[in-house]
Amino acid sequence: MSTDDAQEEDTHIDIADGVDHQVAMVMDLNKCIGCQTCTVACKTLWTEGGGREHMYWNNVETKPGEGYPEGWEDSGGGWQSDDHSERQPGEIPGQEEYGGDWEFNHEEIFYDGSDEPLAPQSDPEWGPNWDEDQGAGEYPNSYYFYLPRICNHCTHPSCVEACPRKALYKREEDGIVLVDQERCRGYRYCVEGCPYKKVYYNAVSKKSEKCIFCFPRLEGEGPDDTVHATACAEECPPQLRLVGYLDDEDGPIYKLVEEYEVALPLHPEFETVPNVYYIPPYAPPQHSEDGETLESVDRIPNDYLEELFGDRVNDALDTIERHRDRVRRGGESELMEMLQDKNPAQQYRLEVFDDE
Amino acid sequence: MAREGPAQSWLAVTALVVLAIAVAAVVPSLTSARPANEVPVGDVGANASDPAAESWTTVPSVEMALSSAPSGLPEAGNVSADHARVRAATNDSHVFVRVSWDDATADRNTSGPRAFADAVAVQFPENESARPPIAMGGTDNRVNVWYWTGDERTEELLAGGAGTTTDFERTTVSTEAVHEEGEWHVTFTREAAAAGNRTALSGEQDIDLSIAVWNGSYDERAGRKAVSEWHYLAMGPGPQGPPYETILWTVAGLAILLTTVVTIEGVRRTRGEPT
Repeated sequence: MSTDDAQEEDTHIDIADGVDHQVAMVMDLNKCIGCQTCTVACKTLWTEGGGREHMYWNNVETKPGEGYPEGWEDSGGGWQSDDHSERQPGEIPGQEEYGGDWEFNHEEIFYDGSDEPLAPQSDPEWGPNWDEDQGAGEYPNSYYFYLPRICNHCTHPSCVEACPRKALYKREEDGIVLVDQERCRGYRYCVEGCPYKKVYYNAVSKKSEKCIFCFPRLEGEGPDDTVHATACAEECPPQLRLVGYLDDEDGPIYKLVEEYEVALPLHPEFETVPNVYYIPPYAPPQHSEDGETLESVDRIPNDYLEELFGDRVNDALDTIERHRDRVRRGGESELMEMLQDKNPAQQYRLEVFDDE
Repeated sequence: MAREGPAQSWLAVTALVVLAIAVAAVVPSLTSARPANEVPVGDVGANASDPAAESWTTVPSVEMALSSAPSGLPEAGNVSADHARVRAATNDSHVFVRVSWDDATADRNTSGPRAFADAVAVQFPENESARPPIAMGGTDNRVNVWYWTGDERTEELLAGGAGTTTDFERTTVSTEAVHEEGEWHVTFTREAAAAGNRTALSGEQDIDLSIAVWNGSYDERAGRKAVSEWHYLAMGPGPQGPPYETILWTVAGLAILLTTVVTIEGVRRTRGEPT
């Protein structure tokens, strides 16, 4: 293997036909602290009301866990195989799987002097982040990690294919997947067709909606006329996201995904080819009952990570481990530099194709 | 058998001719009161926009068989309605189409992510010069669709093929609906005269129509629907029914007559009767 582990000969960028460039995001799961600042940034910006109460275009869920909407990983959708000819049937999650928009006793506590605890004024049984920090495993080897999720703006989006009206489309300039609100008639085939359940139905407008990868921010259409990365990325306290283009070969996303192959799509078996990638979580080894470190036993079971990220997760974790070791021994590693964001200018590379 | 004279033979032939003509005239009206795909248009002389209006009882009802539309959507073949009853009427100014079909649940609610409303649509050719493809028309041959949903929406649509449905900015169609005893009755009302990509219902000619029904609680929506074949509103000037029907019956009558005469003549000659 070459000194930097970059697999340049094998690289092949699979971007969708008819798309000039493909936006992409890499999230380093080792940095996520589950603070939900990304969730709130997104919600405040895009989904505060008007039938969007149950929508979290960005959510952070605890893994292992049922996630949001509850049980989305078993709700079907996507493709049957990588030839993308037959779609997998899917289900529309029920309101109870998303969770309701609960009424709280704010009024009584803040204005009427009530000393009741702040609590929902109903008896909810599920909601976003309901199983936060629950995880799995037994003490002292319990484990969990956080998984932030947005629309994957897939290269082979099954939501686009599911729509009988072609109301969903992949933007030619950057591959962002959008719902044309003029064409949408609220049939919800996209909602059931997305295996990640990242298209939502708005019962007020009677149309479906989804993450727009903050395209007005990418286009500099905000009040400050400046190009910004997505709100979920910029507002993140530990800055765990890289935003740019998959086909920007000088950028860290390309290198992490295509060269080092340490950034992996979630549930590749859905065959939609996501453009959001994850650096898999790297947990300490297990402990014995008397506190001894068991070097050979992974705390996060390997088969669980394979379930989420596919077989390639093993090579990815091995590569990261090797580079860590190298740096620990005083060596240099481009990969470690990138994962530590030593160069902030590389984190959001959004104007690299502006001259075209 | 007693031998008959020539005069008696000719009397028999004449009687058969008269009988044949009578049969040709009477049989069509006995075998079918109206052509299979005809929807007669009653003249109610009043406002019939209320599906429960008394005037509807005077208008004949046509039962239309429904089957799933071949749309390629998931579960497209799985639809619940298999027939609907259609009545049509006019008064001086308006056209009314009333569709009734069985549906045990009135699905009016679309407030949840899984909730779909019941719906019904009536489809006409935008321009009656040619019959459009049944599945939402074609690019050169569009359809004008009247669409009602259980959450009390009425839309007037134009479509030129599946997936091209576009709603008119302002609908000229109004609807009223009742659900009673497990049955929906929905009346569509439109002024007979209408402009701008809308089907002319002026009463000068027959107008094709077909219908579609969606059962919301069966997750039916979009192309997952129960649809009829093309029928036609008998709005054109009488006689009712296609003109070829009369021609066919006349030809059949003459053929019967000719066969009879030839047979009688053959029998007479075999018996050696004088001609």
